[in-house]
Amino acid sequence: MEALAAIARIAAEAGDAVVDPAAAKNTAAAASAGYAYGLAAIGPGIGIGIIFGKAIESMARQPEAAGMVRTTMFLGVAFTEALALIGFVAFILLKFA
Amino acid sequence: MLISTIILAAEDMGPNPIAPENKELFWGAGSFLVFLFVMRVFLVPKVRKGMEVRYNAIRGGHESAQAARGAAQRDVAAYEAALAEVRAEATARIDAARQTLDAERQAKVLEANARILAKRAEADGALASARAAARGDVAVAVGSVTASAAALVLGKTADAALVKRAVDNSMSGGRS
Amino acid sequence: MNAATLIAFEFPPINMLLRWQDVVPTVNKVVIISILSSLIGIGIFLAAARKDPKVAPKGARNLAEIIIDFIEKQIIMQTMGPSGLAWTPFLLTIFIFIYLNNMPGVIPLIQMPATARMGIPAFMALMVWVVYNVTGIKHQGPIGYFKSVLFPPGVPKALYILVTPIEIISTFIVRPFSLAVRLFANMLAGHLLLVIFALLSEALFQARDRILIPVGVLPFAVLLFLTGFEVLVAFLQAYIFTTLTAVYINMASHAEH
Repeated sequence: MEALAAIARIAAEAGDAVVDPAAAKNTAAAASAGYAYGLAAIGPGIGIGIIFGKAIESMARQPEAAGMVRTTMFLGVAFTEALALIGFVAFILLKFA
Repeated sequence: MLISTIILAAEDMGPNPIAPENKELFWGAGSFLVFLFVMRVFLVPKVRKGMEVRYNAIRGGHESAQAARGAAQRDVAAYEAALAEVRAEATARIDAARQTLDAERQAKVLEANARILAKRAEADGALASARAAARGDVAVAVGSVTASAAALVLGKTADAALVKRAVDNSMSGGRS
Repeated sequence: MNAATLIAFEFPPINMLLRWQDVVPTVNKVVIISILSSLIGIGIFLAAARKDPKVAPKGARNLAEIIIDFIEKQIIMQTMGPSGLAWTPFLLTIFIFIYLNNMPGVIPLIQMPATARMGIPAFMALMVWVVYNVTGIKHQGPIGYFKSVLFPPGVPKALYILVTPIEIISTFIVRPFSLAVRLFANMLAGHLLLVIFALLSEALFQARDRILIPVGVLPFAVLLFLTGFEVLVAFLQAYIFTTLTAVYINMASHAEH
């Protein structure tokens, strides 16, 4: 964040504009918001894929246990997905706050 | 006017979009708690009790149907047992009758056999006596013939006893 | 020349999508939705409770019984077992309230999930936090509960240095936080997605360059698809919130970890 702010400041100074540090920081935050969510989505994406794959595998192997597997699967998805959603919240915070 | 305010009117300024807003929090909390109270105290127990009543009625219906089916099955079983009993008795009677008949037939057959045997023995007896009689006649005739032949040949009367023994010998030897 | 000048596409400030004017003081659209969802829930169950329970259920009674069956068979029996059936009214209310607050996000002309504002999720998560802690204290006693949370059995003594802080953070901070954020962020993300595609197709349909107008069909199709997806998400988030509540209560009311 600080590094990006510095980059934004340098870029702004190079453009001969007089920018106060707060505005520069906002610009940098807005620019980094997309990266925040993009990076936060990588891990949970893989994780949810693994969870669903394994759940389908076990349901195909033991169809009589499908109800239990489905409940546990949604719990696992909920926990994994929380990380991506925190990334989304970080995106909103950086972009709009 | 009111509707369009609800649907369309938005403010473009405000605090952080993530921060909870007090009025929304408190109104939401209030409506949820009222909802929870009404559900917890009145509505869910009532609906739940209705469900129990119906499930019990359905279960009772199932049980009475089960009982009726059981009774019907018992009736059918009793009927089948009676039927089997009657059938067994009938079979026994038929067997008894058949046995009686068999015995009677056996007795009659034996009697007839006995009669036949008796008749045969009688006939055999008659035959044997007739044969013996015929044989006596033949022996006498042959004896006389032999005696006369011997008298002719020898010129004297043959001994009657000797002739008779010779005739008997030749007849039995001829027969054997 | 960028896209914004070719078509009149401009993303509005985010508060314009989320904050609403008061109709009467302190009552805005989100508040109206939350009150209405509470009233609708009460209405359905009131209509259900009034009907004769002995005849085959239909209409409101059928709906109410299906929801009760769903909560009991799919959520409570799967996570808490038969001993959790006493929690049916609480979990049922949570489920219906959250679902009815999610649904306006996809209802045309309303198009605002009340849970896309932090107020309701924050309150619900806080209430669940209070409920499961109180349940734990009631079932295991204050000392027993905090002991089973802070020093879970079956862990080597030396590891408590590591485990206890993690347990404190996860049980008392991360759980309510993640409950609230999961519901809120899912609904907010869905709402923003719908807004983006709706604005994009509107901008394309009204483009100055007439060749762009048919292209607007594409974002519009995506908008329809996402609306269907949001119907699913609205249900799924209510389901997950309720299931997690059941799991947390179950964990707190049984001593073994």
